[in-house]
Amino acid sequence: MTVTPAVEEEEKKEEEEKPKEKFEFSFDYFNESRLGLFALIVGAIIAVASFFPPLPAFVKGIGAMLVIVWGADSVRKTARYGLGTGVPSIGVLAVGFGLAGAITGMAIGSEIYHYFGIIGILGILAGVAFMAVVGYVSGVLANNEKFIGMKIPGLERGMAELAMAGTLAITLESSIVAGTWYSAAIMSPIKGYDVTPAAFFAVIFILSGFGMLQPYNSCLGADERRGRTLLMAIEIGGINCIILGAVATMSLGAVQGVPLIVLGAIVWVVYYRAYMKACMAEAYGTPGTGLIKTLGG
Amino acid sequence: MEPIILAIILVCIIIGGMLGSLGVHLLPVGGAPAAMATATGIATGCVMLMTGSAVTGLFTASTVAAFWESNPSVLLVSLSGGVGAMLMMGFTMLIANLIYIFGAGVVPVSGRAAVDPITKESQTEYKTPRTDGHGVPNVCFYSGMIGGLAGGFGGALIYVVLESDVYANFPVAIAAVVALGIFIANAIMAAYNIGGTIEGFHDPKFKERIVTGLTCAFVISLMCGIIVVIAIETGVLEAVGGVL
Repeated sequence: MTVTPAVEEEEKKEEEEKPKEKFEFSFDYFNESRLGLFALIVGAIIAVASFFPPLPAFVKGIGAMLVIVWGADSVRKTARYGLGTGVPSIGVLAVGFGLAGAITGMAIGSEIYHYFGIIGILGILAGVAFMAVVGYVSGVLANNEKFIGMKIPGLERGMAELAMAGTLAITLESSIVAGTWYSAAIMSPIKGYDVTPAAFFAVIFILSGFGMLQPYNSCLGADERRGRTLLMAIEIGGINCIILGAVATMSLGAVQGVPLIVLGAIVWVVYYRAYMKACMAEAYGTPGTGLIKTLGG
Repeated sequence: MEPIILAIILVCIIIGGMLGSLGVHLLPVGGAPAAMATATGIATGCVMLMTGSAVTGLFTASTVAAFWESNPSVLLVSLSGGVGAMLMMGFTMLIANLIYIFGAGVVPVSGRAAVDPITKESQTEYKTPRTDGHGVPNVCFYSGMIGGLAGGFGGALIYVVLESDVYANFPVAIAAVVALGIFIANAIMAAYNIGGTIEGFHDPKFKERIVTGLTCAFVISLMCGIIVVIAIETGVLEAVGGVL
């Protein structure tokens, strides 16, 4: 029975430290509408600017994290009424729409760029706009009594937001890998390797999908709190940045990749710590196994 | 690109999406109750089952499509996708049944039909009271195989019209990814339409909901198809000869 002293010790420590604990991380200013608007505007600006290869990858990483947080917030908003098929389905739906939207946006943006020059890079937003319409219509289909009849308040808006967030996330993350979202760069082989950046779409698909669906999927329950759930979304955004940073180091070189890995590592450590602290502070009790003892209390 | 080819691509995307939706409706999905062997079907959601089998279908379809240097046969490639998805569904149902029978010790029995519509075996007396059937009985197995065929065929049909140099001429990776995106959107709307568990074509739920499901699949595939056709029409996504 080696476990008992450790547990007792931890409990004692917790009791001692509990009164002075006042950790609260909330997104009070960024309520659902403000967060959505902010992420949409900043994400769209970064997505348009991603056309230029010199734009540092960590800026795109920040944009991707922001968009993923927005997506996670929308998943939370729609999935808390119970979808009947599990939370992951709506996150995967978001990135599924996002794949079609991002590729259309890249195609339209590149084509207008060919004919009208630099103004054409705004064409990437056409994919986002199309997907907003598709998402809204599928929300109407899912919610309307005459069709599926899920009767979830705000599902139309939620699905439109998710489709836009998925499109922006996939655009940003694929431009991290290729350096730009210009279609010729997306489809030409990475120098020295026999793969194109398009081959990474499958990885990007599940990475950004995970950032959106996992926070609410793991945090849902009676005591779910928005601030805590979104902490995990930021943290998964950091993990995404580490993985994509490794890919970018391979495809574009260390100048682009290493800052992204560093950013991802910092975000991951900071927000993982914050999330664990929030969990431990808000939980009724936390018997520890010793695995994450250093964070305890 | 010629309008007739764009129209063919659009029609193929719509047919593929609707077949995918039909395939999801045919799968024996048990959800969480099936994990405790208190409902018929495989213990996971529609989306996981259908995505798993459709991705296997895309693998087989892209392998078969690689045998042609140009103009792959649409029917053969789509059928090979269907066969891949069927194999995946078959293995999943077989292994699930092995675990249910020899692990959990239950008899595969349908909860929604008193008599198996295909083998005419009686079901009711083998069903544990207060449960909704167990395992994957014969009729559900057939239904799941047909579902795998429909879903895999649909996914591979979207893939092949996007990849074929006669039609959209996308690079392999982009064609697969777009096919996956459209397929997943349809599969998830079908999953919402089912709303939890379904046994297959003999389930009363199937008759009740299939029309709604196919209508939604039609609308969503049409909209996604129009967007993809716009992307094709720009012409910047055409493959430049190299693969992957």
